[in-house]
Amino acid sequence: MLGIIILSPIVLGIAAISLRSHLMNRIALVGSALINVLALLVWWSGYRAHGLPGWLASYLSIDAMAFYFLAIMSLVYFGSTIYTLTYFKEHHFSAKQETLFVSVLMFFLSAMIGVVTAHHLALLWVFIEATTLTSALLIYFEQRKASLEAAWKYIYICSVGIALAFVGIIILSIGSKNVGTLFFNDLYHGAAGCNQFWLKLSFAFIIVGFGTKIGVAPIHAWLPDAHSEAPSPVSALLSGTLLNTAFLGLVRVYNIMKYAELQNFANILLLLTGFMSLFVCAVFMLQISNYKRMLAYSSIENMGLLFIGLALGGPGVFAAFLHACAHSISKTCLFLTSGNILSLYGSKQIKQVKGMIFSQPLTGWLWLISFLALAGMPPFPIFLSKFLLISAFIKADLTLLIIPFFLCLIVIFYGMGGTVFNMVFGSPGTLPTASARLSPSAFIPQLVLLMILLGIGVHLPPYFLNFLQDAVQFLKP
Amino acid sequence: MTDVLLILFGTTMLYVFAAGRIEAYIKTLSLQGLLLFFLVLANIPELNWLNLTFLVVETLLIKAILIPYFLLTVIRRNEIGREVEPDISQFYSLLFSVLIFMFGFLVAYWAASIESTILPLYFGVSIALIIASLFLIVTRKRIITHILCYMMLENGIFLLSLSVAGEMPMLVNLGVLLDLFVGIYLLVIFFNKIQSMYDGSHIDILTELKD
Repeated sequence: MLGIIILSPIVLGIAAISLRSHLMNRIALVGSALINVLALLVWWSGYRAHGLPGWLASYLSIDAMAFYFLAIMSLVYFGSTIYTLTYFKEHHFSAKQETLFVSVLMFFLSAMIGVVTAHHLALLWVFIEATTLTSALLIYFEQRKASLEAAWKYIYICSVGIALAFVGIIILSIGSKNVGTLFFNDLYHGAAGCNQFWLKLSFAFIIVGFGTKIGVAPIHAWLPDAHSEAPSPVSALLSGTLLNTAFLGLVRVYNIMKYAELQNFANILLLLTGFMSLFVCAVFMLQISNYKRMLAYSSIENMGLLFIGLALGGPGVFAAFLHACAHSISKTCLFLTSGNILSLYGSKQIKQVKGMIFSQPLTGWLWLISFLALAGMPPFPIFLSKFLLISAFIKADLTLLIIPFFLCLIVIFYGMGGTVFNMVFGSPGTLPTASARLSPSAFIPQLVLLMILLGIGVHLPPYFLNFLQDAVQFLKP
Repeated sequence: MTDVLLILFGTTMLYVFAAGRIEAYIKTLSLQGLLLFFLVLANIPELNWLNLTFLVVETLLIKAILIPYFLLTVIRRNEIGREVEPDISQFYSLLFSVLIFMFGFLVAYWAASIESTILPLYFGVSIALIIASLFLIVTRKRIITHILCYMMLENGIFLLSLSVAGEMPMLVNLGVLLDLFVGIYLLVIFFNKIQSMYDGSHIDILTELKD
């Protein structure tokens, strides 16, 4: 089953390259999304026997945590592929250009699946670097000056960051001489006997390295540029899946620290970077002028929340995982809708877009509701995850930290809310009103994703809760 | 023998600090690849054909020949001669390099006193190389120099992984190599695009995106 999930995008990508036709590109897009979702459904329904053959299975396999993140990924990916069809239709790219986009997207997808399912630390590193290389090409896809600058910064900063993570991995292998391998399971079992000093040092390097990829402050410099300059479906994938997959890598390493009884040290680092991300986002949110950059800064904030949840432990971990899912879905809706706004108004500047609700009601409502979902209005699940975070603060005896936490969240809500409300309800004045009509496929993915999000928030289905809990239990309590 | 090679390796980095011509950087990079090849040869305990072929391909073919050749054609085509005025003058950066090496060796001896399996010279040179490349990335302004320093950073990391001597599985080694190669390839592609789109190759031109 895993073989199909990883290899199908590669096969479809190669098919797209060899045929180079508009039709094949579309088949590859929809096909990869469908295969991904179906394979996961089959796996979930109990057919778990067929992993990868032989020795490969120890490197790559689906466990509870991988399944949870794969499920989020397949949802987000499905949404953005459907949206990509609209994107292609509007921009009239040549078959060659489309093929480049589709094939690189396929390789990007299988690299991300590799990150999620890797059970060997260094192999995980290889896949994370592979996601950087493939997605850089997607960011540059529109071939503008700004996107070139964004792609350059992205690939360079992330490569250097990831290189530092490799230093961390080498240091980890010095500290875990008693284990001798870098398989996560072996490391978990042998962690208690490892040299604590080297483990601490390696975690510091790895948090810098993977943190660069996750996009937490102060190593977030590439994120606003890359997310704002990439084509909208790619921005959605970057924010909704790529950040999560790198976060999963960090969670696996953090688990080693837990087994080695070093969680106090790790928690301090995580809390520090988490709060710094909230602070950076709060500062920039008040003076933002580009709505896609606004969404990118909000990704930094949300990754900070994941870090904080992970560090608090207990209900915090549950909150962090729930938040990862809810953030991915709502941010995907926002980025896809921002694609609509961009094609309607032709500008990423906030001041060029006013009164969407009058001229483009559906886009306006989607923008507003997705924002409310992201900001954590009940009944959306982010309300629950933030609520659980607060209770985790109290449970961890860090009640005082709730004050800066709330302050940052309020400032961010104020900044982002003001912008969104202005874009939706502000009077257009002399600005040109957008009268163009978008095809239905520019709305369907967001509507479906919002429905799913609402379903999770209102009902919290027992099966969802089950595999969320399975994923959380993967971490040592 | 290993010690001589390591000292030579450290000296190449000092040379980079003092040098101003980009071509000299690239030649140093190639020399570093060659030194890594000899280091690998000197350290291999038994000759496993598969491993040996792989390491020869990695160090000699890719690090010493292919990538430097590739970069050399790029700078010749774009007629890039020297590093533009760096933020810190050559003299002070040399001074810094000495401090970095001192720091590297201090860390190495201290580390060796905790963990007896660590070889201080190996460890010290590689730590110094990593920090020195990061220092160069921060202080140099040409985009091509950034690519070169990234390669030097990778060389430092390769040396560090040799000093640990823990064997990585073949699968992982292959992956790392592939990533590195594709990474350099892409960086050069983007470099060429920047060169043609902005008509220059200075990081100061990349300031369109900011808040």
